[in-house]
Amino acid sequence: MLTKLRALAQSSMFRYVIRRLLYMIPVVIGISIIAFITMYAAGNPINLIKAGKPNIDQATIDSLKIYYGLDQPIPIQYISWLTNIIQLDFGKSLYGGGPVNGIIFPKIWPTIELQVVSLLIAFAISIPIAVYSAKKPYSKQDITVTSFSLFGVSMPTFWFGLVLIIVFSFTLGWLPSAGSKGAAGFLWWGNSAFDAIAHLILPVTVLVYVSLAQNIRLIRANMLEVLRSDYILAARASGISERKVVYRYALRNAITPAVTFLGISLGTMIAGAPMTEYVFSWPGLGRQYVASTLGLDFPTIMGITMIITVMTLIANLVMDILYVYIDPRVRIR
Amino acid sequence: MTATNTPKQPTKHRAASQWAVAWRRFRKNRAGVFGLIIVLGVVFIGVFGDLLAPYPAFPDPKALQPFYNGDVRSPPSSQYLLGTDAIGTDVLSDLLHGTKYALYVGVVVTVITMAIAILVGSVAGYFGSWTDNILMRITEVFLVFPSLLFILIFVRVFTLGAGVGTTVGIFGIGLPIGLSIVIFVLAIFNWPGSARMIRGEFLRVRELEFVEAEKALGASNRRIIFRHILPNILSSIIVVASLTIAYAILLEAGVSFLGFGDVNTMTWGQVLQNNFSDMRVVWWAELFPGLAILITVFGFNLLGDGLSDALNPRLRD
Repeated sequence: MLTKLRALAQSSMFRYVIRRLLYMIPVVIGISIIAFITMYAAGNPINLIKAGKPNIDQATIDSLKIYYGLDQPIPIQYISWLTNIIQLDFGKSLYGGGPVNGIIFPKIWPTIELQVVSLLIAFAISIPIAVYSAKKPYSKQDITVTSFSLFGVSMPTFWFGLVLIIVFSFTLGWLPSAGSKGAAGFLWWGNSAFDAIAHLILPVTVLVYVSLAQNIRLIRANMLEVLRSDYILAARASGISERKVVYRYALRNAITPAVTFLGISLGTMIAGAPMTEYVFSWPGLGRQYVASTLGLDFPTIMGITMIITVMTLIANLVMDILYVYIDPRVRIR
Repeated sequence: MTATNTPKQPTKHRAASQWAVAWRRFRKNRAGVFGLIIVLGVVFIGVFGDLLAPYPAFPDPKALQPFYNGDVRSPPSSQYLLGTDAIGTDVLSDLLHGTKYALYVGVVVTVITMAIAILVGSVAGYFGSWTDNILMRITEVFLVFPSLLFILIFVRVFTLGAGVGTTVGIFGIGLPIGLSIVIFVLAIFNWPGSARMIRGEFLRVRELEFVEAEKALGASNRRIIFRHILPNILSSIIVVASLTIAYAILLEAGVSFLGFGDVNTMTWGQVLQNNFSDMRVVWWAELFPGLAILITVFGFNLLGDGLSDALNPRLRD
């Protein structure tokens, strides 16, 4: 057991992961500083309260300042905010003064659920479609696929969601448009598992189509390049079946840049969560972010920003680790 | 009979310029030409939309004529071709007025984005070493940034102080302040991708012989960058600019749709936002603005792809 642990600690992968985790620290701190400064550029939250309630007396204001820690100098406020966040305490909401944790934490899982399901489906489908399209470039099948994907990148994500709701929820009445997790108090087909799936279908379709479009464009372009290379010609010349040439030899090289892109696209998907979640009233971080930003609830905004930043960084790390396993040319040092 | 052996006029063989060649190649690309036609159509509507629209733009009380007629939320008909929306304006008029805003957003965001990207990309790519290192690290931080979140909070905070719905006149054109703030914020968060591309192009071109020759002749760095390298990578910049216009229009629509736009500037995204809660009834007021966005963005994307095929033929077979 102990030797196994020691071997793990000495393995290059382990050291690589540790180093990457350490690299994250300055990025997270940098983003936290920017987030904090942005909030203060907006002015002291107490002034906003004052503007809303002109008759408020000074004693109440002072007690509010102490409650939110706003009586301290700004650098000290920042440090205490950061140390609290490290201990997973995101402060107190400006709405009602309750803990931000209570607002944010229940919203994390729905967001992860939606994103991960969509991403896995999108990646699984995009590979065969892109290969199919790249096998005969500029043929009818290829043009169909490329225009389909160009359509996908030209469409406002949220609008595609709106169209799906209009067609499948309002007109046909097949699927729920909102109220995931029984929030609206109704169960689809009277079964909670079916209900969860039914609520996922429309938002996942939206996210899959959008990232599918991007993935296909990328993998197809790579595939076209790889299929022209000499080693593919050699493989074909030695009589290996076309299927094997494409899927065993070419795909592996074409897919590696797409994995990097997967990391980026997961990042943009998580950060783009506000749009989809808003359209489908999905009880996730994105919709909460929109509501909090419109309401200028700064502690909640900063908390969600930090959580989404960390989620994006971790997603990128996972992708980079995957990359090492897919592409043996990548050597970690 | 006079012998006509006067020597033939030597036909002038001017070498076709790079742009003429590109245009000839572009013309053959049906998708690209289709995109160009869409874009020209959108520009036409952008310029003349105010004259074509049956009703004036929203803050004008006459825009609410359908409301006074009692035609709020009336479906598409011969009187209101695309119906009227939840606040009682004519959707067709909204879309025609909104076209100029979409173009304003696309073009201005792209100009600012490209200006920053060219500056950063050329300095990083040309000088290399530590300059490159520092600038590219900054760019990477921007790329991992959850940019939509920061765009939303920046827009929200900046529009707090600005008078909603007021316009500032520049060259006799009233520019809506709220929308200009959105544009400014979008540009700030949009440049890193383009900067990376321009840096890559600089890395490629700066090793070519003609740059070497210029250097040997003692040309200044600024002259080499702006007179020699930039014109060489102009084609790539044009392609990226065309795609950036498309992306900016999409992003602005999203920001407005989420409720961060200027309520008195009826961009297409704003129309979508205004009718979102009444969507079950006024589905036409959600469908058509989105279609307008889709067609416009599709046009710019097709144009960008067509330009990329025409200007960088080595990318194609």
